[in-house]
Amino acid sequence: MRNLLNLLLKYDYCLLFLLLEIAGFLLLFRFNSYQGSVFFTSANRVFGAVYDVAKETTAYFGLRTANKRLVDQNTELFLQIERLTEELKKYTADTVLIGEMRSNVLRSYTLYDADVVNNSVIHKDNYITINKGETDGIRPEMGVIGGNGIVGIVYKTSSHYALVLSVLNSKSSISCKIKRTEYLGLLKWDGGSSHYALLTDVPRHSEFLLGDTVVTSGYSAVFPGNIPVGIVEEISDSEDALSYILKVKLFTDFARLNDVRVISAPGREEQAELERNVAEIEEE
Amino acid sequence: MIFIHRLGWFIGLVLFQVLVFNHVHIYEYATPVLYIYFVFSLNAAVGRKALLLWAFFLGLAVDVFSNTPGVNACACTLFAFFRPFILRTQTVRDMTDDFYPSISTMGFSHYLRYVLIGTFVLVGTIQLIETFSFLRWGSLCLKIVTGTFVSVIGILCIDSMRRKK
Repeated sequence: MRNLLNLLLKYDYCLLFLLLEIAGFLLLFRFNSYQGSVFFTSANRVFGAVYDVAKETTAYFGLRTANKRLVDQNTELFLQIERLTEELKKYTADTVLIGEMRSNVLRSYTLYDADVVNNSVIHKDNYITINKGETDGIRPEMGVIGGNGIVGIVYKTSSHYALVLSVLNSKSSISCKIKRTEYLGLLKWDGGSSHYALLTDVPRHSEFLLGDTVVTSGYSAVFPGNIPVGIVEEISDSEDALSYILKVKLFTDFARLNDVRVISAPGREEQAELERNVAEIEEE
Repeated sequence: MIFIHRLGWFIGLVLFQVLVFNHVHIYEYATPVLYIYFVFSLNAAVGRKALLLWAFFLGLAVDVFSNTPGVNACACTLFAFFRPFILRTQTVRDMTDDFYPSISTMGFSHYLRYVLIGTFVLVGTIQLIETFSFLRWGSLCLKIVTGTFVSVIGILCIDSMRRKK
Protein backbone atom coordinates (compact mmCIF):
# COMPACT_ATOMS: atom_id res chain seq x y z
CA MET A 1 0.00 0.00 0.00
CA ARG A 2 2.82 2.33 0.96
CA ASN A 3 4.65 1.47 -2.23
CA LEU A 4 1.55 2.13 -4.26
CA LEU A 5 1.12 5.53 -2.63
CA ASN A 6 4.77 6.35 -3.29
CA LEU A 7 4.37 5.34 -6.89
CA LEU A 8 1.30 7.54 -7.26
CA LEU A 9 3.06 10.48 -5.63
CA LYS A 10 6.07 10.03 -7.88
CA TYR A 11 3.99 10.09 -11.03
CA ASP A 12 1.33 12.52 -9.90
CA TYR A 13 1.91 14.76 -12.90
CA CYS A 14 0.95 11.81 -15.13
CA LEU A 15 -2.31 11.51 -13.20
CA LEU A 16 -2.92 15.24 -13.55
CA PHE A 17 -2.19 14.96 -17.27
CA LEU A 18 -4.73 12.17 -17.70
CA LEU A 19 -7.29 14.08 -15.64
CA LEU A 20 -6.93 17.23 -17.76
CA GLU A 21 -7.11 15.27 -21.00
CA ILE A 22 -10.29 13.55 -19.82
CA ALA A 23 -11.77 16.93 -18.91
CA GLY A 24 -10.87 18.21 -22.38
CA PHE A 25 -12.46 15.28 -24.18
CA LEU A 26 -15.58 15.52 -22.02
CA LEU A 27 -15.96 19.12 -23.19
CA LEU A 28 -15.35 18.06 -26.76
CA PHE A 29 -18.04 15.40 -26.78
CA ARG A 30 -20.59 17.15 -24.62
CA PHE A 31 -20.65 20.13 -26.95
CA ASN A 32 -21.91 17.88 -29.72
CA SER A 33 -25.14 17.15 -27.89
CA TYR A 34 -27.86 19.61 -28.60
CA GLN A 35 -28.71 20.14 -24.96
CA GLY A 36 -25.12 21.04 -24.06
CA SER A 37 -24.43 24.16 -22.09
CA VAL A 38 -23.93 27.49 -23.78
CA PHE A 39 -21.35 28.39 -21.15
CA PHE A 40 -18.23 27.12 -22.92
CA THR A 41 -18.93 28.98 -26.16
CA SER A 42 -18.44 32.51 -27.37
CA ALA A 43 -22.15 33.14 -26.69
CA ASN A 44 -21.09 33.32 -23.05
CA ARG A 45 -21.61 36.82 -21.73
CA VAL A 46 -18.00 37.75 -20.94
CA PHE A 47 -16.49 36.34 -24.09
CA GLY A 48 -19.27 37.74 -26.24
CA ALA A 49 -18.55 41.18 -24.80
CA VAL A 50 -14.85 40.92 -25.76
CA TYR A 51 -15.83 40.11 -29.33
CA ASP A 52 -18.30 43.00 -29.28
CA VAL A 53 -15.53 45.48 -28.49
CA ALA A 54 -13.25 44.02 -31.14
CA LYS A 55 -16.07 44.12 -33.68
CA GLU A 56 -16.85 47.75 -32.91
CA THR A 57 -13.25 48.59 -33.79
CA THR A 58 -12.80 46.45 -36.86
CA ALA A 59 -16.25 47.18 -38.33
CA TYR A 60 -14.98 50.57 -39.51
CA PHE A 61 -12.42 49.00 -41.79
CA GLY A 62 -15.08 47.23 -43.80
CA LEU A 63 -17.42 50.22 -44.15
CA ARG A 64 -16.24 51.18 -47.60
CA THR A 65 -16.96 47.83 -49.22
CA ALA A 66 -20.14 47.44 -47.17
CA ASN A 67 -21.35 50.78 -48.47
CA LYS A 68 -20.57 49.91 -52.03
CA ARG A 69 -22.44 46.63 -51.75
CA LEU A 70 -25.44 48.35 -50.22
CA VAL A 71 -25.57 50.89 -53.01
CA ASP A 72 -25.40 48.10 -55.57
CA GLN A 73 -28.21 46.24 -53.86
CA ASN A 74 -30.26 49.39 -53.48
CA THR A 75 -30.10 50.28 -57.14
CA GLU A 76 -30.96 46.74 -58.08
CA LEU A 77 -33.96 46.79 -55.73
CA PHE A 78 -35.10 50.18 -56.96
CA LEU A 79 -35.10 48.93 -60.51
CA GLN A 80 -36.98 45.83 -59.45
CA ILE A 81 -39.62 47.80 -57.57
CA GLU A 82 -40.03 50.06 -60.53
CA ARG A 83 -40.55 47.16 -62.88
CA LEU A 84 -42.87 45.28 -60.52
CA THR A 85 -45.14 48.24 -59.83
CA GLU A 86 -45.46 48.73 -63.57
CA GLU A 87 -46.43 45.08 -63.94
CA LEU A 88 -48.82 45.28 -61.05
CA LYS A 89 -50.53 48.34 -62.48
CA LYS A 90 -51.10 46.46 -65.68
CA TYR A 91 -52.82 43.58 -63.93
CA THR A 92 -54.92 45.35 -61.36
CA ALA A 93 -56.15 48.84 -60.85
CA ASP A 94 -57.48 48.01 -57.42
CA THR A 95 -55.28 49.97 -55.01
CA VAL A 96 -57.00 48.54 -51.96
CA LEU A 97 -55.87 45.08 -52.97
CA ILE A 98 -52.25 46.21 -53.30
CA GLY A 99 -52.31 47.77 -49.86
CA GLU A 100 -53.73 44.61 -48.39
CA MET A 101 -51.08 42.45 -50.02
CA ARG A 102 -48.32 44.66 -48.76
CA SER A 103 -49.48 44.58 -45.15
CA ASN A 104 -49.97 40.81 -45.37
CA VAL A 105 -46.34 40.28 -46.33
CA LEU A 106 -45.16 42.48 -43.49
CA ARG A 107 -47.42 40.87 -40.96
CA SER A 108 -46.30 37.34 -41.59
CA TYR A 109 -42.63 37.61 -40.55
CA THR A 110 -40.76 39.30 -37.75
CA LEU A 111 -37.21 40.37 -38.56
CA TYR A 112 -34.59 41.00 -35.90
CA ASP A 113 -31.51 43.03 -36.78
CA ALA A 114 -28.24 41.58 -35.46
CA ASP A 115 -24.48 42.01 -35.87
CA VAL A 116 -22.04 39.16 -36.27
CA VAL A 117 -19.48 39.36 -33.48
CA ASN A 118 -17.60 36.11 -34.12
CA ASN A 119 -17.39 33.88 -37.13
CA SER A 120 -15.23 31.11 -38.54
CA VAL A 121 -15.01 29.25 -41.85
CA ILE A 122 -12.11 26.81 -41.49
CA HIS A 123 -13.37 24.29 -38.99
CA LYS A 124 -15.43 21.22 -39.75
CA ASP A 125 -18.24 22.68 -37.63
CA ASN A 126 -18.43 26.43 -37.97
CA TYR A 127 -20.52 28.63 -35.71
CA ILE A 128 -21.41 32.32 -35.84
CA THR A 129 -22.01 34.42 -32.74
CA ILE A 130 -24.50 37.29 -33.02
CA ASN A 131 -25.12 40.07 -30.54
CA LYS A 132 -28.84 39.46 -29.95
CA GLY A 133 -30.18 36.90 -27.52
CA GLU A 134 -33.23 35.77 -25.62
CA THR A 135 -34.01 39.20 -24.22
CA ASP A 136 -34.29 40.48 -27.80
CA GLY A 137 -36.69 37.69 -28.73
CA ILE A 138 -34.25 35.31 -30.40
CA ARG A 139 -35.05 31.63 -29.87
CA PRO A 140 -33.29 28.47 -31.05
CA GLU A 141 -34.25 27.22 -34.52
CA MET A 142 -35.00 30.62 -35.98
CA GLY A 143 -33.56 31.22 -39.46
CA VAL A 144 -30.72 33.67 -40.08
CA ILE A 145 -30.19 35.43 -43.42
CA GLY A 146 -27.66 37.94 -44.69
CA GLY A 147 -27.92 40.57 -47.41
CA ASN A 148 -27.19 38.05 -50.15
CA GLY A 149 -28.81 34.86 -48.92
CA ILE A 150 -29.17 32.34 -46.13
CA VAL A 151 -26.58 32.17 -43.34
CA GLY A 152 -27.74 29.51 -40.88
CA ILE A 153 -30.04 28.57 -38.04
CA VAL A 154 -29.96 29.78 -34.41
CA TYR A 155 -28.50 26.94 -32.33
CA LYS A 156 -28.17 28.13 -28.74
CA THR A 157 -29.10 31.36 -27.03
CA SER A 158 -27.93 33.15 -23.91
CA SER A 159 -29.58 36.30 -22.61
CA HIS A 160 -27.70 38.73 -24.88
CA TYR A 161 -25.98 36.58 -27.50
CA ALA A 162 -26.86 33.69 -29.74
CA LEU A 163 -24.83 30.97 -31.40
CA VAL A 164 -25.81 30.32 -35.01
CA LEU A 165 -25.23 26.98 -36.73
CA SER A 166 -23.68 28.18 -39.99
CA VAL A 167 -24.50 26.52 -43.32
CA LEU A 168 -20.78 25.64 -43.19
CA ASN A 169 -21.32 23.03 -40.47
CA SER A 170 -21.48 19.28 -40.84
CA LYS A 171 -24.64 19.26 -38.69
CA SER A 172 -26.46 21.76 -40.89
CA SER A 173 -29.20 20.46 -43.19
CA ILE A 174 -31.64 22.89 -44.83
CA SER A 175 -34.53 22.08 -47.13
CA CYS A 176 -34.04 23.83 -50.49
CA LYS A 177 -35.42 23.66 -54.02
CA ILE A 178 -34.39 24.54 -57.53
CA LYS A 179 -36.19 27.78 -58.24
CA ARG A 180 -37.11 27.15 -61.87
CA THR A 181 -38.45 23.60 -61.61
CA GLU A 182 -39.33 23.36 -57.88
CA TYR A 183 -37.49 20.07 -57.29
CA LEU A 184 -36.42 19.59 -53.66
CA GLY A 185 -33.07 18.76 -52.07
CA LEU A 186 -31.19 19.09 -48.79
CA LEU A 187 -28.41 21.65 -48.45
CA LYS A 188 -25.38 20.20 -46.63
CA TRP A 189 -21.71 20.95 -46.24
CA ASP A 190 -18.84 18.48 -46.26
CA GLY A 191 -15.93 20.71 -45.36
CA GLY A 192 -13.57 22.24 -47.87
CA SER A 193 -14.16 25.62 -49.49
CA SER A 194 -16.40 28.13 -47.75
CA HIS A 195 -17.84 29.21 -51.12
CA TYR A 196 -19.54 25.92 -51.92
CA ALA A 197 -22.15 23.64 -50.35
CA LEU A 198 -23.88 20.50 -51.61
CA LEU A 199 -27.53 20.03 -52.51
CA THR A 200 -28.10 16.35 -51.79
CA ASP A 201 -31.02 13.93 -52.28
CA VAL A 202 -32.15 15.60 -55.48
CA PRO A 203 -34.47 13.01 -57.12
CA ARG A 204 -33.21 11.16 -60.19
CA HIS A 205 -36.06 12.37 -62.41
CA SER A 206 -35.70 16.05 -61.56
CA GLU A 207 -34.87 18.66 -64.16
CA PHE A 208 -32.19 21.28 -63.71
CA LEU A 209 -29.35 22.94 -65.57
CA LEU A 210 -25.99 24.30 -64.58
CA GLY A 211 -26.52 27.88 -63.48
CA ASP A 212 -29.99 27.30 -62.03
CA THR A 213 -30.72 29.25 -58.86
CA VAL A 214 -31.28 27.33 -55.61
CA VAL A 215 -33.67 28.86 -53.04
CA THR A 216 -35.13 27.74 -49.71
CA SER A 217 -38.20 25.55 -50.06
CA GLY A 218 -40.30 27.16 -47.35
CA TYR A 219 -41.50 23.75 -46.18
CA SER A 220 -39.69 23.90 -42.86
CA ALA A 221 -40.74 26.16 -40.04
CA VAL A 222 -37.35 27.85 -40.06
CA PHE A 223 -37.10 29.74 -43.35
CA PRO A 224 -39.79 31.26 -45.53
CA GLY A 225 -39.66 30.12 -49.14
CA ASN A 226 -37.64 31.64 -52.00
CA ILE A 227 -34.73 33.01 -50.01
CA PRO A 228 -31.72 32.86 -52.33
CA VAL A 229 -29.07 30.22 -51.53
CA GLY A 230 -26.75 29.84 -54.52
CA ILE A 231 -26.18 28.70 -58.07
CA VAL A 232 -25.76 25.12 -59.36
CA GLU A 233 -22.18 24.75 -60.54
CA GLU A 234 -21.50 21.02 -60.81
CA ILE A 235 -23.59 17.86 -61.04
CA SER A 236 -22.60 14.44 -59.74
CA ASP A 237 -24.23 11.14 -58.71
CA SER A 238 -24.74 10.15 -55.10
CA GLU A 239 -22.87 7.08 -53.82
CA ASP A 240 -25.88 4.79 -54.22
CA ALA A 241 -26.65 6.41 -57.60
CA LEU A 242 -30.29 6.92 -56.56
CA SER A 243 -30.10 10.71 -56.53
CA TYR A 244 -28.04 13.65 -57.72
CA ILE A 245 -25.64 15.74 -55.68
CA LEU A 246 -25.33 19.32 -56.89
CA LYS A 247 -22.39 21.52 -56.00
CA VAL A 248 -23.87 24.93 -55.18
CA LYS A 249 -21.90 28.17 -55.23
CA LEU A 250 -23.27 30.07 -52.24
CA PHE A 251 -24.39 33.69 -52.59
CA THR A 252 -23.37 34.49 -49.02
CA ASP A 253 -19.68 35.17 -48.53
CA PHE A 254 -19.22 33.57 -45.12
CA ALA A 255 -15.73 34.93 -44.66
CA ARG A 256 -17.08 38.49 -44.52
CA LEU A 257 -20.39 38.45 -42.69
CA ASN A 258 -21.46 41.59 -40.85
CA ASP A 259 -25.14 42.44 -40.67
CA VAL A 260 -27.62 39.60 -40.48
CA ARG A 261 -31.37 39.33 -39.91
CA VAL A 262 -33.02 36.69 -37.75
CA ILE A 263 -36.40 35.59 -39.08
CA SER A 264 -39.26 34.49 -36.93
CA ALA A 265 -42.19 33.09 -38.87
CA PRO A 266 -45.68 33.15 -37.35
CA GLY A 267 -46.90 29.70 -36.43
CA ARG A 268 -43.25 28.61 -36.30
CA GLU A 269 -43.70 26.96 -32.94
CA GLU A 270 -47.02 25.45 -33.92
CA GLN A 271 -45.56 23.81 -37.02
CA ALA A 272 -42.47 22.59 -35.16
CA GLU A 273 -44.69 21.12 -32.44
CA LEU A 274 -46.86 19.34 -35.00
CA GLU A 275 -43.82 17.89 -36.79
CA ARG A 276 -42.34 16.72 -33.50
CA ASN A 277 -45.58 14.96 -32.60
CA VAL A 278 -45.67 13.15 -35.94
CA ALA A 279 -42.03 12.10 -35.53
CA GLU A 280 -42.79 10.73 -32.07
CA ILE A 281 -45.79 8.75 -33.32
CA GLU A 282 -43.70 7.29 -36.14
CA GLU A 283 -41.02 6.21 -33.70
CA GLU A 284 -43.56 4.29 -31.67
CA MET B 1 5.10 39.81 -9.54
CA ILE B 2 6.23 37.09 -11.88
CA PHE B 3 2.71 35.68 -11.76
CA ILE B 4 1.20 38.97 -12.95
CA HIS B 5 3.84 39.21 -15.66
CA ARG B 6 2.90 35.71 -16.80
CA LEU B 7 -0.82 36.46 -16.65
CA GLY B 8 -0.23 39.50 -18.86
CA TRP B 9 1.45 37.33 -21.50
CA PHE B 10 -1.34 34.76 -21.12
CA ILE B 11 -4.16 37.24 -21.74
CA GLY B 12 -2.24 39.11 -24.45
CA LEU B 13 -1.45 35.99 -26.45
CA VAL B 14 -4.98 34.57 -26.14
CA LEU B 15 -6.52 37.85 -27.33
CA PHE B 16 -4.06 38.13 -30.21
CA GLN B 17 -4.77 34.54 -31.18
CA VAL B 18 -8.57 34.80 -31.22
CA LEU B 19 -8.86 38.33 -32.59
CA VAL B 20 -6.08 38.30 -35.19
CA PHE B 21 -4.41 34.97 -35.93
CA ASN B 22 -7.59 32.88 -35.94
CA HIS B 23 -8.76 34.96 -38.88
CA VAL B 24 -5.59 34.39 -40.88
CA HIS B 25 -6.07 31.45 -43.25
CA ILE B 26 -3.46 31.24 -45.95
CA TYR B 27 -5.29 29.53 -48.86
CA GLU B 28 -7.82 28.19 -46.31
CA TYR B 29 -5.17 25.85 -44.92
CA ALA B 30 -2.46 27.39 -42.78
CA THR B 31 -3.64 29.07 -39.60
CA PRO B 32 -0.86 30.27 -37.27
CA VAL B 33 -1.10 28.95 -33.69
CA LEU B 34 1.00 31.47 -31.79
CA TYR B 35 -0.57 31.46 -28.32
CA ILE B 36 1.54 28.41 -27.56
CA TYR B 37 4.59 30.70 -27.34
CA PHE B 38 3.44 31.13 -23.75
CA VAL B 39 4.17 27.49 -22.92
CA PHE B 40 7.39 27.50 -24.95
CA SER B 41 8.79 30.40 -23.00
CA LEU B 42 7.96 29.34 -19.42
CA ASN B 43 11.18 28.91 -17.47
CA ALA B 44 12.56 25.66 -16.14
CA ALA B 45 11.54 26.45 -12.56
CA VAL B 46 7.88 25.90 -13.40
CA GLY B 47 7.03 22.41 -12.19
CA ARG B 48 5.47 19.80 -14.41
CA LYS B 49 2.06 20.03 -12.77
CA ALA B 50 1.99 23.82 -12.96
CA LEU B 51 3.00 23.56 -16.61
CA LEU B 52 0.10 21.19 -17.34
CA LEU B 53 -2.39 23.46 -15.58
CA TRP B 54 -1.18 26.62 -17.35
CA ALA B 55 -1.37 24.81 -20.70
CA PHE B 56 -4.84 23.41 -20.06
CA PHE B 57 -6.34 26.76 -19.16
CA LEU B 58 -4.54 28.46 -22.03
CA GLY B 59 -6.07 25.99 -24.46
CA LEU B 60 -9.47 26.27 -22.80
CA ALA B 61 -9.42 30.06 -23.10
CA VAL B 62 -8.72 29.86 -26.82
CA ASP B 63 -11.39 27.14 -27.17
CA VAL B 64 -14.11 29.17 -25.53
CA PHE B 65 -13.48 32.04 -27.92
CA SER B 66 -13.39 29.94 -31.06
CA ASN B 67 -16.28 27.57 -30.23
CA THR B 68 -14.16 24.44 -30.28
CA PRO B 69 -14.49 23.29 -26.62
CA GLY B 70 -11.84 20.74 -25.74
CA VAL B 71 -9.81 20.79 -28.95
CA ASN B 72 -7.09 23.27 -27.99
CA ALA B 73 -7.24 22.29 -24.31
CA CYS B 74 -6.46 18.65 -25.13
CA ALA B 75 -3.73 19.50 -27.62
CA CYS B 76 -2.10 22.04 -25.31
CA THR B 77 -2.07 19.66 -22.34
CA LEU B 78 -0.53 16.95 -24.51
CA PHE B 79 2.19 19.33 -25.65
CA ALA B 80 2.87 20.51 -22.08
CA PHE B 81 3.25 16.87 -21.06
CA PHE B 82 5.97 16.37 -23.66
CA ARG B 83 7.68 19.76 -23.26
CA PRO B 84 10.21 18.69 -20.58
CA PHE B 85 11.37 15.79 -22.77
CA ILE B 86 11.65 17.92 -25.90
CA LEU B 87 13.48 20.62 -23.99
CA ARG B 88 15.93 18.13 -22.53
CA THR B 89 16.88 16.73 -25.92
CA GLN B 90 17.67 20.23 -27.21
CA THR B 91 19.68 21.69 -24.32
CA VAL B 92 23.36 20.91 -23.97
CA ARG B 93 24.06 22.50 -20.62
CA ASP B 94 22.35 21.62 -17.36
CA MET B 95 19.32 23.72 -16.77
CA THR B 96 19.25 26.09 -13.83
CA ASP B 97 15.97 27.31 -12.40
CA ASP B 98 16.13 30.69 -14.10
CA PHE B 99 16.66 29.13 -17.51
CA TYR B 100 14.28 30.68 -20.04
CA PRO B 101 14.12 28.80 -23.33
CA SER B 102 14.80 31.39 -26.05
CA ILE B 103 17.07 31.98 -29.04
CA SER B 104 19.66 33.75 -26.91
CA THR B 105 19.93 31.07 -24.22
CA MET B 106 19.74 28.01 -26.46
CA GLY B 107 21.23 29.11 -29.75
CA PHE B 108 19.20 29.41 -32.94
CA SER B 109 19.40 25.85 -34.25
CA HIS B 110 18.54 24.21 -30.93
CA TYR B 111 15.69 26.65 -30.32
CA LEU B 112 14.38 26.11 -33.85
CA ARG B 113 14.34 22.35 -33.33
CA TYR B 114 12.65 22.73 -29.95
CA VAL B 115 9.92 24.96 -31.40
CA LEU B 116 9.54 22.84 -34.52
CA ILE B 117 8.96 19.57 -32.65
CA GLY B 118 6.66 21.22 -30.11
CA THR B 119 4.55 23.04 -32.70
CA PHE B 120 4.28 19.90 -34.81
CA VAL B 121 2.88 17.97 -31.82
CA LEU B 122 0.40 20.75 -31.07
CA VAL B 123 -0.82 21.51 -34.61
CA GLY B 124 -0.93 17.80 -35.44
CA THR B 125 -3.12 17.07 -32.42
CA ILE B 126 -5.45 20.01 -33.09
CA GLN B 127 -5.97 19.00 -36.72
CA LEU B 128 -6.42 15.31 -35.86
CA ILE B 129 -9.09 16.05 -33.25
CA GLU B 130 -10.85 18.50 -35.59
CA THR B 131 -11.04 16.16 -38.55
CA PHE B 132 -11.34 12.78 -36.96
CA SER B 133 -14.89 12.21 -38.12
CA PHE B 134 -14.14 12.67 -41.81
CA LEU B 135 -10.59 11.82 -42.58
CA ARG B 136 -9.02 13.16 -45.71
CA TRP B 137 -5.37 12.36 -45.42
CA GLY B 138 -4.19 14.72 -48.13
CA SER B 139 -5.78 17.86 -46.75
CA LEU B 140 -5.01 16.83 -43.15
CA CYS B 141 -1.27 16.49 -43.85
CA LEU B 142 -1.23 19.73 -45.81
CA LYS B 143 -2.96 21.53 -42.93
CA ILE B 144 -0.51 20.15 -40.36
CA VAL B 145 2.60 20.94 -42.39
CA THR B 146 1.57 24.45 -43.46
CA GLY B 147 0.14 25.26 -40.01
CA THR B 148 3.37 24.17 -38.29
CA PHE B 149 5.46 26.15 -40.78
CA VAL B 150 3.58 29.44 -40.29
CA SER B 151 3.41 29.02 -36.51
CA VAL B 152 7.14 28.33 -36.18
CA ILE B 153 7.98 31.45 -38.19
CA GLY B 154 5.60 33.49 -36.02
CA ILE B 155 7.03 32.13 -32.76
CA LEU B 156 10.61 32.84 -33.88
CA CYS B 157 9.53 36.42 -34.72
CA ILE B 158 7.92 36.94 -31.29
CA ASP B 159 11.00 35.55 -29.55
CA SER B 160 13.49 37.72 -31.43
CA MET B 161 11.33 40.81 -30.85
CA ARG B 162 11.24 40.05 -27.15
CA ARG B 163 15.02 39.64 -27.09
CA LYS B 164 15.63 43.06 -28.67
CA LYS B 165 13.47 44.69 -26.03
